[in-house]
Amino acid sequence: MSHPPDRGVSRRSFLKGSAIAGIATTGLTAAAEAAELHRPPSELGPGEHEITLSINGKARLVKVETRTTLLDALRDRLDLTGAKKICDRGACGGCTVLVDDLPVNSCLMLAVDAVGCELRTVEGLADPADPKATHPLVQNFVACDALQCGFCTPGMVMSSLSCLERRGTPTEAQMRHDLSGNLCRCGTYGRVMEAIERTAKGEGGGR
Amino acid sequence: MSTRNRDTGAPREQVEIPREQVEITVGYRALPGKDQQDRLEKITVEPTEGDAPPWDANTPYKVVGSDLDRVDGFAKATGRAKYAYDQNFPDLQQAMILRAPIARGTLTALDLDEARRMPGVTAVVALKDVGNKVRFVGDAIAAVAAPTLDLARDAIEKIRADYDQEEHNVEYLMSGDAPLLSMGGEVDDEWPADDDIDALLAKATHSHSGTYRTEVQTHSSLETHGNVARFDQKHLDVWSSTQATFGVRGELARALRQRGVDVESVEVHSEYVGGGFGSKFSAGIEGLACCLLAHEAQKPVKLMLDRFEEHTTAGNRPSALMQVRGALDENGRITVWDWRSFGGCGFNGSGGAVRHPSAYLGKAKVRQSHKDIACDTDPARSMRAPGYPQGWFGAELFLDELAAKAGLDPLALRLKNDDEAMRLDQWKFGAERFGWAEARAKQNEPGARYLTGAGLASARWGQLGNHGGRNPHGITCRIHNDGSVESRSGAQDIGTGLKTVLTMLTAEELGIAPARVRATTGHTSDPSGPGSGGSTTTPSLAPAVRHAAYLAAQKLVALVADHLGVPLDEVRCSAGKVGTDKAQLSWTDACKLIGQNPIEAHGERFPNYKQDPFHRGVCGAQFAEVRVDSWTGEVQVTRMFGIQDCGLVIAKKLAESQVLGAMIQGVSYALHEQRIMDQRSGRMLNGDFLRYKITGTKDLPALDCYLHSVANGHDNTGAAGLGEPPSTASAAAIGNAVFHAIGAPVRHLPLTPDKVLAALQKAQRTPR
Repeated sequence: MSHPPDRGVSRRSFLKGSAIAGIATTGLTAAAEAAELHRPPSELGPGEHEITLSINGKARLVKVETRTTLLDALRDRLDLTGAKKICDRGACGGCTVLVDDLPVNSCLMLAVDAVGCELRTVEGLADPADPKATHPLVQNFVACDALQCGFCTPGMVMSSLSCLERRGTPTEAQMRHDLSGNLCRCGTYGRVMEAIERTAKGEGGGR
Repeated sequence: MSTRNRDTGAPREQVEIPREQVEITVGYRALPGKDQQDRLEKITVEPTEGDAPPWDANTPYKVVGSDLDRVDGFAKATGRAKYAYDQNFPDLQQAMILRAPIARGTLTALDLDEARRMPGVTAVVALKDVGNKVRFVGDAIAAVAAPTLDLARDAIEKIRADYDQEEHNVEYLMSGDAPLLSMGGEVDDEWPADDDIDALLAKATHSHSGTYRTEVQTHSSLETHGNVARFDQKHLDVWSSTQATFGVRGELARALRQRGVDVESVEVHSEYVGGGFGSKFSAGIEGLACCLLAHEAQKPVKLMLDRFEEHTTAGNRPSALMQVRGALDENGRITVWDWRSFGGCGFNGSGGAVRHPSAYLGKAKVRQSHKDIACDTDPARSMRAPGYPQGWFGAELFLDELAAKAGLDPLALRLKNDDEAMRLDQWKFGAERFGWAEARAKQNEPGARYLTGAGLASARWGQLGNHGGRNPHGITCRIHNDGSVESRSGAQDIGTGLKTVLTMLTAEELGIAPARVRATTGHTSDPSGPGSGGSTTTPSLAPAVRHAAYLAAQKLVALVADHLGVPLDEVRCSAGKVGTDKAQLSWTDACKLIGQNPIEAHGERFPNYKQDPFHRGVCGAQFAEVRVDSWTGEVQVTRMFGIQDCGLVIAKKLAESQVLGAMIQGVSYALHEQRIMDQRSGRMLNGDFLRYKITGTKDLPALDCYLHSVANGHDNTGAAGLGEPPSTASAAAIGNAVFHAIGAPVRHLPLTPDKVLAALQKAQRTPR
């Protein structure tokens, strides 16, 4: 499991969000970002700040404390409950989201540090209103029955997606490596890797 | 023929009414491979009047047994499935429990005032009174609700609790009740004298004794225990992560009676549950706390345990110490089996019972005893085949050691002693499929770093579902005038696939495509069903699902017969049509005859057939190959194969998932899992997923399984549950494979490098 890239401004980046709250729908501009870097650290907390997160291509306004994790912001404030809180210590991968295309344990990242990043969550892989828009990886998870209770599954899907995006056609050793940060108690690992393989081969469902 | 109720053991009280007799074919077709044959027989059963006619080995299934996708797979894989943990409401309060930091003592002071006064805090409740005993680290003291978890945590820190601490013991083998152990880890206490046993051991051709141990395993469900509770006047809705919706409902109603809550006003919702494995039958103190907070706050409250609480307060598979003596005669038959076991339990000193494979002991003189030993920890709870993986590890490894002494192949020893006729076929089939003879013949080069070995073990589970006693389980089936069908159960789908089972059985019975059926589970407003324990959910509900669909079909058939003017008894629902051979309507057209209200039928789970089924319970066999690094002591399970009697295989893909998953959990139990307690603080040292290891992708063996479909003639469907059965064998097979690989038994799970190296050294085979 990779850590988010060091953006150099992470501890203070919530300020970017609070400053652009009024223009949230347009997203960040380079100028606003640059201006915010000069805000003094004394403006950090306590209490809640409104920030903007870019999630699945949409700007979302959310109120967080500086100590609020990205996971809690997604789940409790934005009702994006796909990412799961399982260990809350970066040990299980259940909360995996993609931050600027890298898989990140969102329980270990502060929401304010995610400002300015492109976030992708499992919810972005399917549109219930348009089943044809479902990402083939999701279809293959279902077709391979790569899930049982399903609680680890969103995290598995996101780690698998990252594996596919970075490696194209991953080897078995690469899949084992890329998924080694994701725990499943029901024992779906083999079928998860099968779903990745099928997706890499361009298959989109059916077994 | 039994005159006792098979499920309850109670004498049958009702007057016997002569029933229609139906001849059915039970058993199974020949397994693939050499020397296998059909094991089919005809039996006569007497279904309860009005029940759906029995399916048997000759039923031509259209949907059942097919590769249908899990019906809620899409919801789960897209993150849209809402578990208890995922419930959000306007003004939802987050809650947290203050836990005792001591393992034993008395609560001497509890001051909640400062927490109550904190801005934002909406409820604070005491869960113990001053003077109450504290029984383990993590015992619940008080709980707090606030708009965010961070605020709740702040408030928890403001609660003052004082304790009068007493001396504690968190290691059961240090208890005064525990047997004495030698330096080598053998039970040192004398065996009680028994003339028969002593004589049999004395005259045996080959005899052996050994002491075996397993450690505490936590269930480690990925969704922690917890609930979301919302009061509306006296009505209480609870979204619960539970294996027993109706159990939780009754429990909460009883506990909240003084607040005017009765069972009718409680509704439990568990549409999706993130695993349970036996730990989630009770609402628990966390469930009660959640409701009390919601009542006090008059706002919805979410209280989910954190991972440390989950490891330390939500149950576990207890540890076991087992000592065995046994012997073989000159024909390789087991003549004597002397077994005593000890269970390492929590403070309540119960739940540690250990089971051993009795099918091998038909000709043996058997003596067994068991003692549970308490210590100051979180109590044991049932965990996926309670008592079996422990006992199977001890017993199957003992048998392999005994076989080695007698110069017998482990498979040969099983074949000579196993009383399960079905498993004799399974052993032979599995050995061929796995390549047992080749794997056993492989010689490790002298001085080689990597040592390979193969082992096997039996699987066994005895329960095949029940009707639910005085208030039988039920299912609602509705057929709507647009051709859609509902099948509803108030019982829960904890990941085993109950929704898919409902869908497939209903589609089969109605002769329609599964896509027309929508299954709903987990709301107590729907018909009652069992708690998901003992692998009984599917076999308990499947016959009721059929019955509901069967009754609904009869109503549709009546409409169609009337409409077409054909004889009622000639109308069938099959292949998407309703009618006779000559005149029919498509399913869609037939359903147009239904008025505004849907056809609704209530299916009942009737008692299991009184006649002896083809087989009681289910059995299976598993094979494992390991590679041991003799330099580091690391064990890698390289491949496993399991054959599992599944009763009627309903959802093939899901059944395979469950069997493979059980094997992976077995790898985890065999190699990694161990609760480590600190004797000084009384606290679990590895109560997280960083230091409590469970199997991940890098430990994953090449896995294969064979679903053995058996018409067991138990009820109208003949299903079996698959939670427990395959869980019994895996760790035992791996333990035996390690014994084969290194030439010395490692008698203590988990098979960690330190123990493997010590065993290697003892066997004097450690290369330098």
